[in-house]
Amino acid sequence: MMIGHQRVLIRRELWEHPAIYITPLVIGLIVLLVTLTGQVSFSAYGEAVNIAIVGAQSVDEQHRATAVGGVLAVVATIFSIGAWIVMIFYSLDALYTERKDKSILFWRSLPITDAETVVSKLITALFVIPFVTVAAVMLTQVLLLAITSVWVMFQGGDASHLVWAPAPLADAWFAVIVLALALPLWLSPLIGWFLFASAFTKRSPLLLALLPIIVLPLLEKLLIGSRYIGDAIWVRSFRPPIINFEQLKHIEINGQLSLPEGSQALSLSDQLDISSFLVSPSLWAGLVVCGLLVTAAIYVRRYRDESY
Amino acid sequence: MTNLVSARNVSKSFGQLRAVDNVSFDIEKGRILGLIGPNGAGKTTLLKAVLGLTDCDGELLVLGIDPFRDRRQLMKDVCFIADVAVLPRWIRVHQLLDFVAATHPGFSRERVNKFLAETRIRKTAKVRELSKGMITQLHLAIIMSIDAKLLVLDEPTLGLDIIFRKEFYANLLGDYFDGERTILITTHQVEEIEQLLTDIMFIDQGRILLHSPMEDLADRFVQLITSGSHADAARKLGPISESSLFGKSVLTFEGVDRTRLQPFGEMHTPTVADLFVAKVKGARA
Repeated sequence: MMIGHQRVLIRRELWEHPAIYITPLVIGLIVLLVTLTGQVSFSAYGEAVNIAIVGAQSVDEQHRATAVGGVLAVVATIFSIGAWIVMIFYSLDALYTERKDKSILFWRSLPITDAETVVSKLITALFVIPFVTVAAVMLTQVLLLAITSVWVMFQGGDASHLVWAPAPLADAWFAVIVLALALPLWLSPLIGWFLFASAFTKRSPLLLALLPIIVLPLLEKLLIGSRYIGDAIWVRSFRPPIINFEQLKHIEINGQLSLPEGSQALSLSDQLDISSFLVSPSLWAGLVVCGLLVTAAIYVRRYRDESY
Repeated sequence: MTNLVSARNVSKSFGQLRAVDNVSFDIEKGRILGLIGPNGAGKTTLLKAVLGLTDCDGELLVLGIDPFRDRRQLMKDVCFIADVAVLPRWIRVHQLLDFVAATHPGFSRERVNKFLAETRIRKTAKVRELSKGMITQLHLAIIMSIDAKLLVLDEPTLGLDIIFRKEFYANLLGDYFDGERTILITTHQVEEIEQLLTDIMFIDQGRILLHSPMEDLADRFVQLITSGSHADAARKLGPISESSLFGKSVLTFEGVDRTRLQPFGEMHTPTVADLFVAKVKGARA
């Protein structure tokens, strides 16, 4: 029964929050436009272009793969920042607007449980937003390579040799899919907290959501002098164990990319550490916290009658 | 089961305030009950309890189930319009219909299309683009296309002009009510719905002052217009309330034989509005 309504509930979230697909669309368009204008304006430097293409053609396969892979990684990173912002604002809005405009009374007049509704919003935040983003990333990367190969051909280069052959698409897409699954799960306690704030607050969910994130570390520092809470928030936000930061340290970018010893070309999926992510107690503790907060949000939507 | 709603000693308090104070009543299938009370009387709280939107003390059964515990089950057979403004404003009409069709087993697209064809509502329009009257038409069209056993309307026509209000009730009676369904309705505009009610319930300060079939009102209540010594004599028969109109006294009696009042003046059956005022004033006195 729970699953029966999820499809239409999630469709409703997409109707209500077009930002879920418009944001990646806009990011994709900007990336492609920047690429296009960059290439067109670079074309003016005829000689430099020739040198660059000749140079690119003469370096070995691994370096070309690394260069193209680096571009693909940058594209994916831009999208993931966008997705994270959409996720935050979506989950802060999800259970707040329906109370503010009183439409909650209409939704609750239909035979759907509060649990079904709140779960559909959690699924939208944790899975739908990331996977809409993944689709946009893949499409943008392919179009970017296509635009680039057209440009390379115009400049007299060999596009299949310079662009398509070295493009580590399989490697990049594998990494993107793994990250799209793993990062939201890692961030789930924050999403759970935002959903709860959205269900609970009388006004400004953003304010309520940010308050403890800012105040608690300060209080801890002032009262006890330690900084466990701040560290926990830092790790949760910027140090997901799915990414192998130890290994990343060995990659240096200073004019030229230098890879850790032994590796052939830059591989994005090599920077992932799936097994230690899955056994990380922090991941599972975070999921439990998310579960508790979402349960609390369901409880608030179910039991607090204030809007009628 | 003929009792659609059955309440025994139902109470609901908010801190010190007893919004609903130990009420008991039954609503039979096929009735149209008007729930009438001043602001803050506890009408809305009582409706919320019936709709399972709030918890309450005592025993309350709607269609034989506990409305608060089994809300999802309840909503398959109960529909409600809480207020004119609750349809989500961002949604398009066709999306709204898709959503209700996917979630409500008793919803008929055929019926809703028929109802909407009679209005100027476009399926591609967003709710926010519709006028207040059209939003109510849309909501009513959806509700009337759901095969529900109980329909609850809380001030459904608030803020609408008289033409929409008349049309609303005409549609409700003409296209929806079939004697099998039960309707529970609250409104401030008593005069407008008086003719369509089968039963009436007055509520004030959380208590039920009157719950009666409409056809019994004429037997039970009488309004006497009188003056001077006749008024003094009539007062001895215990009117439930008294007011004055153009220098005459208007006494309202409950359960007093009309033949006993005949000598004292002119008699009328009070309107629901008059009766309501009489009962509330009498109870508060």
